[in-house]
Amino acid sequence: MNTIRFCMHSIRMLMKSRLQYPLSFTVQTLAQLVMEAGEMLAVLLVIDRFGSLKEWSGGELLIFFGVMSITFYLTEIFGRGITGGIDSMIRQGGMDILLIRPRSVITQMVCRDVDPRRIGCIAVGLTALITGTAQIGLVWTAGRILLLLEAIFFGMMLVLGLFLIEATCSIFSVRSLEMVNTLTYGGRSACQYPIDVFPKPIRLLFSVIAPFSLTLHVPVSFIVGKPLFGWPQWTAFVCPLSGAVILAVMTVVFNIGIRHYRSTGS
Amino acid sequence: MSYIHVSDLSKTYIVRKKKSGSLLARERTEVKALRNMSFEAERGELIGYIGPNGAGKSTTIKILSGILTPDGGEVSVGGVCPWKDRKRHVGRIGVVFGQRTQLWWDVPVRDSYDLLREIYHVSRADYDAQLRRLTEVLDLEPLMNTPLRMLSLGQRMRAELAGSLLHRPELLFLDEPTIGLDAVSKLMIRDFLKRENRENGTTVMLTTHDMEDISALCSRVMVIGKGQKLYDGGLNELLSAYDTVHIMTVRYADPLVQPVLPEGCEAEADGETLKITYRPDRVPTPVLLTALQEAGTIRDLTAQPQNIDRLVADMYKEMGM
Repeated sequence: MNTIRFCMHSIRMLMKSRLQYPLSFTVQTLAQLVMEAGEMLAVLLVIDRFGSLKEWSGGELLIFFGVMSITFYLTEIFGRGITGGIDSMIRQGGMDILLIRPRSVITQMVCRDVDPRRIGCIAVGLTALITGTAQIGLVWTAGRILLLLEAIFFGMMLVLGLFLIEATCSIFSVRSLEMVNTLTYGGRSACQYPIDVFPKPIRLLFSVIAPFSLTLHVPVSFIVGKPLFGWPQWTAFVCPLSGAVILAVMTVVFNIGIRHYRSTGS
Repeated sequence: MSYIHVSDLSKTYIVRKKKSGSLLARERTEVKALRNMSFEAERGELIGYIGPNGAGKSTTIKILSGILTPDGGEVSVGGVCPWKDRKRHVGRIGVVFGQRTQLWWDVPVRDSYDLLREIYHVSRADYDAQLRRLTEVLDLEPLMNTPLRMLSLGQRMRAELAGSLLHRPELLFLDEPTIGLDAVSKLMIRDFLKRENRENGTTVMLTTHDMEDISALCSRVMVIGKGQKLYDGGLNELLSAYDTVHIMTVRYADPLVQPVLPEGCEAEADGETLKITYRPDRVPTPVLLTALQEAGTIRDLTAQPQNIDRLVADMYKEMGM
């Protein structure tokens, strides 16, 4: 409870400071919107050229894209502190400051920064979701809405968990961040599309190591009424929990890593 | 047991350096930042912790404040081990880094303090009273609504000090708190620390390169070199034991004058001035002065004791390091 209050307080304070320059905020938000709209355009071009991808219709592809964008960028709005520039923060000794406070380091990293500009990307995601809904004539029943919220919630946990891999690597100043980015940003870009359009190694990568297919593809398949890659229907509600598992595992790994934190000279 | 108890503390860093001439091979060297460091301290002490760069000062402070985990040794601060029970430990201490800020960069100072209140679970009433006191003593009112990034270094350090004391810590660590500050700010911060220690009984441990900080504040000095404690005791005893070398600079009206110096003095010419290093216990200062005066008309003459780094360097020599 106390932790949530602390997070809310930080977010409120940082939002206030971020919105201090409304013009710069507006311009940057629009820039983000245009960038993400470009990504959406790519999906639209695929639909325009091929009509469908495997057995997925255009509307369904847009829904996949929309849910992915909303999940990923919501994480970035509230977890900017953990997703952005964690390596340079650690290299500059910012971790010292977190360690001298009586709060969990991960909580403080999450509360370190916010990025309201991502609202532009989320607007694009919502647009895609609404357009897709209209195209396939999807009716949002209570069950579907619940599952959508579950998918987004645990999807955010998964993204946070993946960003913790980057943070853990940074503690040991291993410069293998590019490889980690394959999982996070690469995962975002790839998993905008249904998992079964990819060859097996990539399917494995995004099912076992960074299980976007479990937090996103399985529940969304259920929502649009497709067979769940041959799995029973109830799995749609269980699979997203894997996001929480990844976050829990990475929290443990990160906390072990922190014991080996070396700080920087002064 | 004492309030702070440190025994046999050691910390080794492993540094990997690229081997010159080879693309991939890397050299692995061990740097012993602390070797079997031990000391005790009681509540209410004001301890100065000095030593050259890389001696292990910051490493000690970082271990004591729960940032680093040592390789060996024991630490207990008020019965708590910093790295084993970090959250409980850091809730009772305050830490100020001279070169690093712990407030939020783009946020007005007052908002940072509000969030710190939340982080440290300080009750509203306690917080208001403490903030009112600190605002008055550190003259913070004019800075309160300014984002941190717009403050001068001196203002920022005052803001940092207040920030580290909002939760009324019983122990305060300061790592080079006066670095880069002007004379006025330095004096203000020294006065403040002295008062905090006297009136609230806050135990203070600070590292510095500024000997004035030590002589103005600290009843006890610890000197560290190459990860080992070289001295622990009063400042005056330290000065009389080691500060035996003095420097005198002299400038003659006629730059060509070459004084004949008593035996045991070393002279070094620097442009028109002559820098003479000597030990007053071997060459009495009046004897040296007479020799200098006999050589010609003196235009300028200054005498000063050695600075802190020289002093520590001499201590190394004496300890055969």
